[in-house]
Amino acid sequence: MTAKIPNFAHGTYAGFGVYVSFICVRYFEMSPYYGFPASFLLGGLMGIFLYKIVVSTLRRMGGGAIVLTISTIAIQIFMAQFQHIFAYWTRVTYGLMSYGFLLKKEDFKIFGFQGIFPVSLFLVITISLGLRWMLTKTKFGIAMKASAEDPELSQVLGINIEKIQVASWFITGGMACLAGALLPMWFMGSPGAGARLLTSCMAGSLLGGLNNIYGAIIGGFTIGIVEIILTAQGMKTFGLWVGEYRPIIPMLATIAILLIEPSGVTGWWARWRVGGGYERLMTRLGRSKEE
Amino acid sequence: MIEIAASTAVVYQRIIIDIAMYFGLFVIVAMALNFQYGNAGVPNFGCAVSASIGGYTVSAFIARIIYWVGTNANIGMKPYATDYDWNYNNQFNTYLMNDYIAEHALFGMSMFLLSIALGFLMGWIMGYVISLPAIRLRATYLIITLITMADAAQILGRNVVWISGGTLGMWVPNVFEWYPGDRTIIMAVATMLIGIICYFILRTMLNSPYGRLMRGVRENDLTVQSVGKDVVAIRRNVLMFASGITAVVGVIIGYYYSYIIQSNFIRATWTYWPWLMLMIGGAGNNAGTFIGCALIIAMRRIIIVYKWALVKFIWYPIVIFESQLLATLLLIVMIFRPNGLIPEKLLRIPGIDYKRLVQEEAKADWRVERIAPSERIGLLSKIRGGGKKKEEAE
Repeated sequence: MTAKIPNFAHGTYAGFGVYVSFICVRYFEMSPYYGFPASFLLGGLMGIFLYKIVVSTLRRMGGGAIVLTISTIAIQIFMAQFQHIFAYWTRVTYGLMSYGFLLKKEDFKIFGFQGIFPVSLFLVITISLGLRWMLTKTKFGIAMKASAEDPELSQVLGINIEKIQVASWFITGGMACLAGALLPMWFMGSPGAGARLLTSCMAGSLLGGLNNIYGAIIGGFTIGIVEIILTAQGMKTFGLWVGEYRPIIPMLATIAILLIEPSGVTGWWARWRVGGGYERLMTRLGRSKEE
Repeated sequence: MIEIAASTAVVYQRIIIDIAMYFGLFVIVAMALNFQYGNAGVPNFGCAVSASIGGYTVSAFIARIIYWVGTNANIGMKPYATDYDWNYNNQFNTYLMNDYIAEHALFGMSMFLLSIALGFLMGWIMGYVISLPAIRLRATYLIITLITMADAAQILGRNVVWISGGTLGMWVPNVFEWYPGDRTIIMAVATMLIGIICYFILRTMLNSPYGRLMRGVRENDLTVQSVGKDVVAIRRNVLMFASGITAVVGVIIGYYYSYIIQSNFIRATWTYWPWLMLMIGGAGNNAGTFIGCALIIAMRRIIIVYKWALVKFIWYPIVIFESQLLATLLLIVMIFRPNGLIPEKLLRIPGIDYKRLVQEEAKADWRVERIAPSERIGLLSKIRGGGKKKEEAE
């Protein structure tokens, strides 16, 4: 958000989260939920490290958006290989199933549901409320928004952009890694698991609009639900072969979004408000401004 | 002893042919990429799509045409109409057709040329399709869509059996079967020949007015738009043309392996490695692309061939090491040599001494220039001289 580049390495952070959960369960034999703070921290530190080593250096040398994007792709390839190395090492040394594993069994149960549902829902709500509070109420969050909007002007006002950037890379990296830590409780975890998420992630954030937290939540939920429901319904209606095409659905969604409304839900919302739709709705609900 | 020496010679010959073949293939991809990114500023991360379309053209269309000819020639072909027959009779049919092509050299050659033409056409059309969603938008959106499209091409190839045999892949007839010697040598020569033709076509295009227009789009698309050029159309045309050229490479690799499967056309090989070649050599000039391509291909092939020696030093699989090397090199090049090994050269425009014009411009700051206007030559200095006179008059 603040760097104004799509970070392709995000999926790979999630891959590290997957392996943090794996270590928690298989090495220390405890619930994967204890690994969440560690995975958040790990992802955050990784984000800072990459920002300091690569992105900041490239930007100082005047690399444009394309160069930075390519650098994130390079980082993605590089980091994904560490997961492969770790998985290989684990399998060779300890003989554990590390290339494809599921931690469903280690999850606790509430009312017959897997514990992952309430936990992930709780995490989404907490994180979005926390981010909302941070971005609107704290000085730091406002500085972050300002530096995203106009870096030079905010620098003039005395905001240390470097610090803001580091913080934002920490938070985003940590969140991505946390999402990865949630993953193996429901989906299969493997060295490429994080990268496979990327298409859906990109589709979700495009649908939500790139500069808005709520947009991202709406977009993520919509893409996830559409992907699952369309695949399930398609498998019921047309036969099992539809399941193979599941990764294409977020892709088609991305294309449709880019063709219809490139700025996503946020842009649509903004246009709707400007065009008077919001006012009309409020009037119809009996809450117009004149009263 | 003599046998060992002979086998060593064979090994070296194989490595050299292999490197030449891959150099020929990847230099075309890298040149096409240079045409797009280095000269028109279109970041195409969908080279894998174009290459796979080339491969699929061979497996889905050319193989069917060849089988059709074989069926009409009554050489005992098995049926290939249904998906099942297409997959399981494929080896037998290919074997029969290879014998047929060995006797009909003209047929083999014409099929090769037809597949290249058809591959180019399909790649060209595919370039239009993949450019549709995001060519109007920011470069980053284009990157996102093109990267995901590469996955889509693979998923389609994996699941639609009649394209390329699905997960099993399929064998394609060898169109060079009539050649009595080593098939790979003639393939390498043909690839190099196509590479040279591509090089001259691309060079001519770059030095034409359209090439200058492309550089204009890269440098400042708003300015180009303001003088009445359709920037989106230029970008799309460039993407389509380069996609067609990349598809030709897909066609050739299909014949080189004699086997086409979707997993041959993965993103890492067909998008990221060519990008690394482009970045190492330096975007915007073909000489740099050649050098980058030669370095990377030689390195990669040697790593693959001498894997057994590397195993002693690296405890994890060499495939992982190779990918890490790719990423590390890419980052190092971007940080330490952002312009590549050979920096960009000026375009050659017939009739205009462009170089002198630019050099003059570089030092021609009218505030410090001390040469009298009458002593200066060239169009630019005349314009500048006029400006100076005005100032003197003031």
